Amino acid sequence: MSEHGSNLPTPTTPSETVVGLVAQFDGPESLLAAARRVREAGYRQWDTHSPFPVHGMDRAMGIHPTVLPWLVLGAGMAGALVALVFQWWANGFDYPIVASGKPLWALPANIPVTFELIVLLSALTAFGGVLVLNRLPQFWHPALTASRFVRATTDGFFISVEAADPKFDLVLTNYFLQSLGAQSVETCRYPAAGREVPPGIYWALVVVVLLCLLPPLWIARTRLVVSGTPRVRAFTDMALQPKYQEQQASPLFADGRAMRPQVPGTIALGQREADSRFYRGQEPDGKWTAAFPIAVNAQTMERGRERFGIYCAACHGLVGEGDGMVHQRAVTRGEPGWVPPLSLHVDTVVDQPNGQMFNTITHGIRKMPGYGVQIPPADRWAIVLYVRALQRSQYAELGDVPPEDRGKVQ
Amino acid sequence: MDQSNPVDLSRQRTTLPPTASGMAKVLAAVGLAALAAGFGLGRAQGDDWRYFLHAYLVEFAFFLSISLGALFFVALHHVSRAGWSVAVRRLAEVFLGNLALLAVLFLPILLAMALGNHSLYRWTDPRQVAASELLRHKAGWLSVWFFALRAVLYFVAWTLLARFFFRRSLQQDRSGEPRLTIQMERASGPALLIFAGTVTFAAFDWLMSLEPTWSSTIFGVYYFSGAAVGFLAALILAALLVQAGGRLTDTITTEHYHDLGKLLFGFVVWWGYIAFSQYMLIWYGNIPEETAYYLKRQSGPWAAVSLVLLFGHLLIPFVGMLSREVKRRRLLLGFWAAWLLAFHWLDIYWLVMPNLDAQGLPLGPIDLCLLVGFGGLYLAGVLAVAGRSPLVPLKDPRLGESLAFENA
Repeated sequence: MSEHGSNLPTPTTPSETVVGLVAQFDGPESLLAAARRVREAGYRQWDTHSPFPVHGMDRAMGIHPTVLPWLVLGAGMAGALVALVFQWWANGFDYPIVASGKPLWALPANIPVTFELIVLLSALTAFGGVLVLNRLPQFWHPALTASRFVRATTDGFFISVEAADPKFDLVLTNYFLQSLGAQSVETCRYPAAGREVPPGIYWALVVVVLLCLLPPLWIARTRLVVSGTPRVRAFTDMALQPKYQEQQASPLFADGRAMRPQVPGTIALGQREADSRFYRGQEPDGKWTAAFPIAVNAQTMERGRERFGIYCAACHGLVGEGDGMVHQRAVTRGEPGWVPPLSLHVDTVVDQPNGQMFNTITHGIRKMPGYGVQIPPADRWAIVLYVRALQRSQYAELGDVPPEDRGKVQ
Repeated sequence: MDQSNPVDLSRQRTTLPPTASGMAKVLAAVGLAALAAGFGLGRAQGDDWRYFLHAYLVEFAFFLSISLGALFFVALHHVSRAGWSVAVRRLAEVFLGNLALLAVLFLPILLAMALGNHSLYRWTDPRQVAASELLRHKAGWLSVWFFALRAVLYFVAWTLLARFFFRRSLQQDRSGEPRLTIQMERASGPALLIFAGTVTFAAFDWLMSLEPTWSSTIFGVYYFSGAAVGFLAALILAALLVQAGGRLTDTITTEHYHDLGKLLFGFVVWWGYIAFSQYMLIWYGNIPEETAYYLKRQSGPWAAVSLVLLFGHLLIPFVGMLSREVKRRRLLLGFWAAWLLAFHWLDIYWLVMPNLDAQGLPLGPIDLCLLVGFGGLYLAGVLAVAGRSPLVPLKDPRLGESLAFENA
């Protein structure tokens, strides 16, 4: 009979060494009881193997409480710190940008990322910690040589004692395990020779490592070397779009051009704006005009006042001193990069020709956007007219006051 | 696992002392007297029962949540075929009987509506409905008769489920048939579905419709998450009290407390998760119809209550209950259970009371009377049920596993 049924150790052949003993038990309770006895007997290099975690096994085997919870706690706190600091740095400090009218650093918006990073780092630490603290993965264990040991993953409950244990004795340990109620005790043998790793494995590893170096080397080369050929794109993103650009050929049209000539009977933007003074504020010689190419009367003045209130006063203020609500709010909130709107009463503005002011309204200047799209040219001129009135109001003389009201001023 | 019980149940005292039923009567009398006093004070208030009804709803929703949490716990035990919780399952089951009591205690709210009182739910007032486009739109759902019909439906569903589980559990005490366990396991899945649906809509009806122009689809889950916290805290306290009285001394072990503590901790975090999920979307969307709800709770004295909730219901217990040791020490766990039960009450108060007074914190003798009243009746109900049955499922096939249970 082979060793499967025998409870006695069979003699070892010279080519094999004994690496341990594996005892099988009939269930978690007997395994638990036996584990307690093995610990009390003073064995150190031993382990239990069961298809599922057996409650109470830690205490039975004398395993100390793990430090893993502390590692996980540390990882969780690190996750919270990293997430919060990074979001503050990215959104509130390094590249401040207002999203949906919220404060630059808004805690509620940061909570989801913080929460997820806590969970991520905690979970990874728990996973990695279990592996490292249990010294996993383990590629070889004496118990793996026992023929019955495959059942440890289905319905087998085992205790393995390694031959490396100082208390290990092939005969005495065997009897000891049997005395614990083991169903069977199997001796684990392993060939004494031929346990070295085949040299081919090392060469294969070297080749794999060298191959892994190729992509980064290639990337480094493309970064450093100037190339005349179009770049190779792994992901085209939106750099290459299926559309035609200027002067390209297209087989779709009879004339072979992708660009289309103007359709008869249509005009493009700006094509009809021949009146340079009215549309661009320039005299035919290119100088800014000093004239008003619209009717100057109370009606256009009123129109200008209204348009100024709608479009300009938000930043420049109702009197044009550059203290509008947008400016005040930006100052209160300390908006970074805010360029204060100019007062319309400084000399550089007062001395501007009408045409130049008209051009500024049309195209904008510095941070001020152009209003040519929103405001029709006649209204832009009306605004220039009203600004002139505003400017004059700030440096008014007694002669500007209607005669019947002069008494009130004095 | 081995079926033999490591604890000799015949040496354990598994029933309440005979004085329990007498105590239940005293508590019921005290409760009724306190309710009557609250009723009188509410009437003297002369505000068309506004204060009384709001305070009444707070206590009703608070005590209801504990029994609903119990129903969830029992169904969860069966649906997950849990072994560890058998030793504390009966203590959870005695909370189920009170669902019928709470159905009766809901009648005053229905009665006030039927008598044409508009103090609690303003959608019951036809003039307010006529004046609001949104309320007119919701009138199909928010009508008194449909509201009452739904309330009946919820209570019928809950009491039937509670009876189903409790009767089979008691039956097993005598017969020990594993068949009953299998029956309960089969029913527990559908029971949880029914539970989820009814609790969600009950929370919509009774709490969310206090502010009928506001809506939040997660509100039902929010109420449920608080209910789970409130119930687990109550269960821990019940177990501690029963053991302090010399009952089940070796039946409920540190391992059971540890697991109850873990569940409580988990649900505290979950409550925070749900509360924040509701808050963040509204904060980010910044739509006036939605933010009105939080604006009320972020200004004036309610801002302080909101902060106290954030810290007292989430952050402080999170740190306090994180450690394994805390959950394994009865005194500490009992402290956190009492703490969380109190903050669960504050949570319900915070849901209801801003509707009564957005500028102040209404708290007075009426609230005290109603708390004592509901508490007395509720405890009387628990004691009456617990006095009639063993405090542990004596012949549950998994009782041995539960008694031998160890955490890792």
